[in-house]
Amino acid sequence: MRLDGRAFVLPVCLIILAEIGARAGGPSDSIAPPSEVLVAFVGALADGSLLLATRDTLASAFGGLAIGGAIGLALGILLGSVGALNRLMEVTLELIRPIPSVALAPVALVALGFGYRLEIAIVAYASTWPVLLLTRSAVAGVEPRLIEVAQALRLSFPARVAKIIVPAALPRIFVAFRLAAGFALIVAVTIEIAINPLGLGAGLMTAGQALRPELMLAYLLWIGIVGFALNILLVFAQQRLFGRAALVGDIR
Amino acid sequence: MIEPFREAFMNRISQSAARPWARLFLSAVALAAFSVPARAQTKIAIGCTATSDCASAMVAVDQGIFTKHGLDAQMVRIGINSTIPAAILSDSIQIGGPTESVFLQAVDGGLDLVAVEGASRMDPIANEAVAAFARNGTTLKEAKDFVGKKVGAPGIGAFLQVLFVKWLVEKGVDPKSVNFVEVTFPTMSDTLKSGAVDAVLTAEPFVTRMTKAGTGYVAAHYAAELARTEPIISYVAARAYAEKNPEAIANFRAAIAEAADIVNNDREKASVSIANFTKQPLEIVRLNRPNLAAPELKSDQLAWWLDVMKQQNLLQSQIDPSKLVFP
Repeated sequence: MRLDGRAFVLPVCLIILAEIGARAGGPSDSIAPPSEVLVAFVGALADGSLLLATRDTLASAFGGLAIGGAIGLALGILLGSVGALNRLMEVTLELIRPIPSVALAPVALVALGFGYRLEIAIVAYASTWPVLLLTRSAVAGVEPRLIEVAQALRLSFPARVAKIIVPAALPRIFVAFRLAAGFALIVAVTIEIAINPLGLGAGLMTAGQALRPELMLAYLLWIGIVGFALNILLVFAQQRLFGRAALVGDIR
Repeated sequence: MIEPFREAFMNRISQSAARPWARLFLSAVALAAFSVPARAQTKIAIGCTATSDCASAMVAVDQGIFTKHGLDAQMVRIGINSTIPAAILSDSIQIGGPTESVFLQAVDGGLDLVAVEGASRMDPIANEAVAAFARNGTTLKEAKDFVGKKVGAPGIGAFLQVLFVKWLVEKGVDPKSVNFVEVTFPTMSDTLKSGAVDAVLTAEPFVTRMTKAGTGYVAAHYAAELARTEPIISYVAARAYAEKNPEAIANFRAAIAEAADIVNNDREKASVSIANFTKQPLEIVRLNRPNLAAPELKSDQLAWWLDVMKQQNLLQSQIDPSKLVFP
C-alpha cells in the first residue's frame, strides 16, 4: 500500500485547527490541545502503561477473532456446501445474528467475570458473523464445474473442502477475516469502555474520569493507530503470505 | 487449624529424638514445614468506581491495614457503578462499592446481595458539594424553574438524580415535567457550554472547576437543602460469600473501621490514596474533603432509601430492610 504525501495535508490542517480551537475554548475536562495530547502520549508510551493496555486489548481481540473466525469458517463452509442444512439453519441464524455483541456484556459478566475470558467470548461472538456469512456466500458461489470435477474424482467431503472449495473461495474468506479483525478491535475496546477493567478502553475511561482529557485523547489516537496498523498487517499478509490465490481485485 | 498439629509435632521431636543428629534433622524439617505464617492471608478483590467514597478501602490497602488484619486485598477500578452487582455475582470481586440506589435496585431485581459495612454517608460538607449547575443564559433559582428544562445526570436512577427528584417532589414539582438525560462527569462542562442541556447534577471538584471556567452557576444546592445523613455507598458482598467467609468479613470490617479514622482525620493520607486509585492529579484531589467515611451501617439508614426509591417507582418488590445488612 503506497501513501500519497498529499493525503497528510487535511489531517495536519485539522490538527492545527484543533490546537487553536482547544486553546481558544478555555479549560475543558473532555477536550485538550493536540500538543498536550502528544506529551501525554509520549509519557504513557514511556511508562509502559500504553503498551501494557495494548497487549491486553490485542490479546483479547485476537483470541476472540481466532475462536469466532474458526467457528464462522467451519459453519460457513458447512452451510455453503450443504444447501439443505443452510435452509434449515436460516431462521435460527437470522434470529441470533441481530443481537448486538455489547448487549451480551451484562449477562457475560455474571457468567464469566472480569478479564480476558469475558472479552474473548464477546469478541468471538461478534467476529463469527462476518466470517460465517461471507464464507457461506463464497463457498456457495464456487464455480459449479469445480464441484462437478470434485464429484467426478470422487473426492471425500474433507478433500473437496481442502482441494476445491477453500482455494476457490480464499480471496473472499480473506476479506471476511479482514472485516472481522476490524470488528474484533472495535468490540474489544467497546467492552473495555463499558464493562471490562483492562486494556485500551479501560485506560481511556480511567483517563477521562481522572480529569486527564489529554491522556484520554492520547489513548483514542493510539487506538486509531493500532487499527490502522492492524489493517496494514492484514493487507500485507493477504498480498505476500498467501500467494496469488488470496488476491482479488484492488485490496487497500 | 495448623497450630495443634505443629504443637504435637514439636513435642514428638523433643520426646523421641534422643540422638543429636536426629533432633537436628527433625528440627530442620519442622522449621521448613512451619516457617509459613500461622494464618494465611485471605485474598479479596474490592471493586469501586473512581470516587472518594471508597477512600477507607483505598487507605486500608495503601497503609497495610488489610494485611494487618489477615486480608490480601486488591482494589479493582470499575468504570460504571451499575456493573458492580454483576461483578460481585461473577466472583470477579468479592466486595464492591455500589451506590445505595444501585445496591437496592440490584436486590429488587433478585440478586442476593448484602451490605457488610458502610463506606460513606451524607453530611453537611458532602451535601454542600452537590449541586444542580446551570449554564449561562438560563435563570434557574428554584425547583419550579426546572420545569420543561433538560437536566443532565450522571445516570438515570443514580444517587445524584434520585436525590434531585426527591428535592423536586418536596418542593411540589412533578419530576415528569423535567427532561433528564445522561451526561458523564468529565463531559458536563462541555455539554453545558454547547447548550445541549440547561443544567447538570454534579458534585465537587466539577462545581468549582466549572464555576472557575465561567461555564455557568450553581442553581441549587439541593442535597444541602434535603440535609440527609443516610449512606451514599456501602461495601456489598454476595450473601453466600459473606455467610461462607464470616472471618474475612469480620477482618474486613475491622480494617475499614481503622482506615475510616484515617480518612476522616488525616486528609493528606486520604488524598494520596484517592489519587493513587482514581489516577486523578493529587492537587485536584486535595482541593476537596473526601466524603465522610462511615463504617457503621444500620438497616434503618437503608429504609429511607427504600422509601424514596419506591416513591420514584424505582423499586417493584417488597424489600425487608433488616435483611440488607449482614449481621
